Amino acid sequence: MTRAPIVIAGYAETKVEFRSGRSAYDIAGEVLANLIERYGVAKSDIDGLSVTLALSEAPNPFFAVYMADALGLTPTWLNAGGIGGCSATGGVARACSAIRDGMCRIAVVISADAPSTAWRADYGAYRGEFQDPLGVQGPPATFGLLMSRYDHQYGLDPAALGKIAITQREHALHNPNALEKFKTPLTMEAYLKSRMIADPLRVLDCVMFCDGGNGFLVMSEAEARARGLDRTVRPAAYAEVTNYAGSDPCADITESGFWKLAPEVYRQSGLRPADIDMIQPYDDFTVAVLMQFEAFGFCARGEGSAFVNATDLSHRGTLPLNTGGGQISAGQPGLASGGLNLAEAVRQLLGEGGERQIHEPRNALVTGIGTIPYGRNWASSAAMILEA
Amino acid sequence: MSDAASRPVPKPDVFVPTEPFWQGARDGKLMLQYCRDAGRFQHYPRPVSIYTGGRNLEWREVSGLGQIYACTVLRVPGPGLAGRVPLSLVTVELDEGVRILANIIETPLEDVRIGRRVVLAWDRLDGGVAYPAFRIV
Repeated sequence: MTRAPIVIAGYAETKVEFRSGRSAYDIAGEVLANLIERYGVAKSDIDGLSVTLALSEAPNPFFAVYMADALGLTPTWLNAGGIGGCSATGGVARACSAIRDGMCRIAVVISADAPSTAWRADYGAYRGEFQDPLGVQGPPATFGLLMSRYDHQYGLDPAALGKIAITQREHALHNPNALEKFKTPLTMEAYLKSRMIADPLRVLDCVMFCDGGNGFLVMSEAEARARGLDRTVRPAAYAEVTNYAGSDPCADITESGFWKLAPEVYRQSGLRPADIDMIQPYDDFTVAVLMQFEAFGFCARGEGSAFVNATDLSHRGTLPLNTGGGQISAGQPGLASGGLNLAEAVRQLLGEGGERQIHEPRNALVTGIGTIPYGRNWASSAAMILEA
Repeated sequence: MSDAASRPVPKPDVFVPTEPFWQGARDGKLMLQYCRDAGRFQHYPRPVSIYTGGRNLEWREVSGLGQIYACTVLRVPGPGLAGRVPLSLVTVELDEGVRILANIIETPLEDVRIGRRVVLAWDRLDGGVAYPAFRIV
């Protein structure tokens, strides 16, 4: 993205809670009020809105419009983000394009969901006939299959997955927004003893559905400066792909869409893997994190376990990983999940990481994953590189 | 609502026309969608060929022979599992060059491994309705 500089000039995030009893609208309202208060942007100045579709409001095809109405906004650019955990980074990228095209000047990219209060999604399609009779209830079965294949081809060390879970849990201890339930340290013994859900997937490899939300203020750099918003973060690269290898029924499922995106975001940003100061990868399952280290060139293909075992992934380490705890340890706020990792990257780049602040980071790699397809890995992949 | 111990029979023809799959099951044949232009199978069934985007599709019987590409064991009870946990779920790569998710039945869990050859077997949903599964050869 070397064209007119567009920036993230602000962010806001709610606590992650289990069964909060709140709606996505109410959570989004908290996010918007927070943005307005912290950054001094008048509600009437917001003329762009991206709304991530929510599991808890899934029956409503007009959710984005209802959200604009609920928030009292009158956008001239409205985007409904339907790529799940890619919708936050994807929403920011789309907002950048809309601002460059003159469709709006100041956009809010908002993600809020409350599936632990109200699960109202029904994916329909082929699932009734070709997945439900098999007992494929949700993502864990598909990830158990994926992990088995990865292990068969390359070897998958449970201790490496445990280290990812433990590192992220340690980070969540320093995140005031993280789910209270996860505010206790995790040991390798506890990880390895945690029960199998879908072999070789353990319960501590997984996220827990919670409620929560986040939002980002997107505008041109010139607009931000004119408003006195001098501390901003610049999206330096973005790429996404949906249904990678979708026309090959016998594709290697250990290769995800990230293999296509990685060279693209490095090309756009002019950075190499060794230049990346932190990684905030989408972490629905620990193996997805491990596979992304390989896809983004931090190690060779199949070397993910060895890389994790040999690398300090803490916020003081050589490659800080999900420094807010990620979804695995902060909780997964439904489809607002993609914004959790993005908010942490923005927070760190603005130097607001508090106890878990990385030392003077210059950039961050943030990713998204959306939707679990039939017997493969994930349907949508998104990657963004942010620069301070 | 179906109770946890039942294995409800899905309604066919909801997503795309699938009646040949179900008729095949009644006849003891595994019928999958085939693109006549590409000369390749695809599964699950789609509204178009995933190879060409066209609709020159038909249903053809497959051999029912293949090998295990990926495997897991479902251990959490829930809808459709009907007291069957722990249950083997695998991805079978059929000899025709297409993959299908399936349960492995009539086989000890410890014998289910990637690379093992499998053959079509018939599982039963509510009312004795046949549904494809596999067993180790």
